[in-house]
Amino acid sequence: MMAEKLLEVKNLKQYFNAGKPSEVRAIDNISFDIYRGETFGLVGESGCGKSTTGRTIIRLYDATDGEVLYDGVSVHAKKSKSEVKALNRKMQMIFQDPYASLNPRMKVLDIIAEGLDVHGLAKNPKERKQKVVELLETVGLNKEHADRYPHEFSGGQRQRIGIARALAVNPEFIIADEPISALDVSIQAQVVNLLKDLQKEKGLTYLFIAHDLSMVKYISDRIGVMYFGKLVEMAPADVLYKNPLHPYTKSLLSAIPLPDPIYERSRVRQPYDPKQHNYGTDEKVEFREVTPGHFVLCSEKEFKEMNVLAN
Amino acid sequence: MGKILQVKDLELSFHTFAGEVKAIRGVSFDLNKGETLAIVGESGSGKSVTTKSIMRLLPESSSEFKSGEILFNGNDLTKLSDRQMQKIRGKEISMIFQDPMTSLNPTMTIGKQVMEPILKHQKISKAKAKEVGMDLLRMVGIPNPEARFKMYPHQFSGGQRQRIVIAIALACNPKILIADEPTTALDVTIQAQILELMKDIQNKVDTSIIFITHDLGVVANVADRVAVMYGGRIVEVGTVDEIFYNPQHPYTWGLLSSMPSMDLAEEKLYAIPGTPPDLLNPPVGDAFALRSEYALQIDMEQAPPMFKVSDTHYAATWLLHPNAPHVDPPKTIIERMKTFRGSRYYEQATGGDA
Repeated sequence: MMAEKLLEVKNLKQYFNAGKPSEVRAIDNISFDIYRGETFGLVGESGCGKSTTGRTIIRLYDATDGEVLYDGVSVHAKKSKSEVKALNRKMQMIFQDPYASLNPRMKVLDIIAEGLDVHGLAKNPKERKQKVVELLETVGLNKEHADRYPHEFSGGQRQRIGIARALAVNPEFIIADEPISALDVSIQAQVVNLLKDLQKEKGLTYLFIAHDLSMVKYISDRIGVMYFGKLVEMAPADVLYKNPLHPYTKSLLSAIPLPDPIYERSRVRQPYDPKQHNYGTDEKVEFREVTPGHFVLCSEKEFKEMNVLAN
Repeated sequence: MGKILQVKDLELSFHTFAGEVKAIRGVSFDLNKGETLAIVGESGSGKSVTTKSIMRLLPESSSEFKSGEILFNGNDLTKLSDRQMQKIRGKEISMIFQDPMTSLNPTMTIGKQVMEPILKHQKISKAKAKEVGMDLLRMVGIPNPEARFKMYPHQFSGGQRQRIVIAIALACNPKILIADEPTTALDVTIQAQILELMKDIQNKVDTSIIFITHDLGVVANVADRVAVMYGGRIVEVGTVDEIFYNPQHPYTWGLLSSMPSMDLAEEKLYAIPGTPPDLLNPPVGDAFALRSEYALQIDMEQAPPMFKVSDTHYAATWLLHPNAPHVDPPKTIIERMKTFRGSRYYEQATGGDA
């Protein structure tokens, strides 16, 4: 499956208030690729820049430096209106808060059809309505729901509407920014299963942003771990969980409580302090490939130590 | 083990424009001295309403105690006057809320906020209260409390604010601490720190904790006993091991199965179908029956009573009735039951299937 690169992020930087004393380096030089048909999970604690990464990729922010290539085309380069439109059709986003991301004054029909209208995908009102009904059924709702307003739905149902809206323009790539964090446990599994089914059916590619590591592991093929604007580790999902190499990833994994009281009684949390690396001033801290497909942010010395352990 | 709080057959309704919402429909449980009781359930199951009714924090204009009692120190909390209740709130029973951003007053220094309950409930001087306040902040892990005392909430991070909220709740050495999703708004690493802090404090001051959450991982970490709520009722209650390794109610099975496990690579995650019941018109019979593949005919007609599984373990499901047909729980649940001595799937040998 590891074949075609759909999205390439190269040395991406996103600084807010650049040059001022209040400069915030939300994304500090990160690079990764997403392959067609896979789910790439991005995890990290709040404020680490994972949402900013998603938003910069879809051009909600202009990047400070670096490149995002979608299918070989730069997302941030200057574009004509029609080029922007073409790109927007391919890339869609699902937001975290199903309460805030739907316009309360619009009917579900119009919310979902907005993309169809913008891109001129429905020839007449009848076709428009029909397409919306199909989308509603795809996400597990039904046609009576089209004439209602967002407040008439539960959180899980609203998230389904958000997914239907993203699907309306037949995208290839969907950025899901914490799509299940605001939902109840029993509903989370429903939405995750829906996303998985849709991926199989339509061959979608996902960037799945979350802080819930157990769900991320379940849905992702590969996972990147972010810490303070930097990608510290990237690996296939099961490799990352079985054999985390960066101390921050280890600390993050050791902090997750599992629904298993016997395991919980013996779990020891490993704290992480960035000072523990003790990098010298002349040491080059880079993203290095330790085993094929498993990248870690480390110095030359750490890299050698990890290599010894890995082989 | 003494019982410090007893909730008996509590029923509570909200009066809304749409009609009467029966938020709690007969809840009974005891809280033992020094233990942590976790109440789990999804939103709308009545877990927060139950604890808010213990604290009497629900608006009196729209909520109504239909029946039942909440016994604390021999008093029925549902019958106390506001004035009597004020002597209990923050002193005998205190509460930590979910969102540390909104539960602190943004216009008051945190020192003042920590001292407030001390000055209110104890007859001591301001200088002494300040000392106590500093000790509290030190205990919850706020470094350099002398300098921090004069700062405002916005100058602290989310985790630190929750620590301050905990310090305020502990100011008068309460007998009961109610924590309503105290870590839901926090990151996993910060969550782990707060949970460690709460356990540490419980060892030191010996208070009983009611811990509300929907995260079963957190429950496994903190709880001594667990009550599972659904549709305004407790459907299963037991020790933490009994609930996680020998669950009996189909809703508990569903909850446990819908958590992705770290080592198994299941193709599809189990999802409980449907949505929680509408408590404006609560279903007759077992509220979970409509979402359950294990539902029996009687579930639609009559609500199940609590069946006894062991001295500490009770579950409200007709499946435990002697005349009920034998059903096997989902596979992941059987795997859990295999490790539990006393469950019907317990396997003595560690070697696997015979």
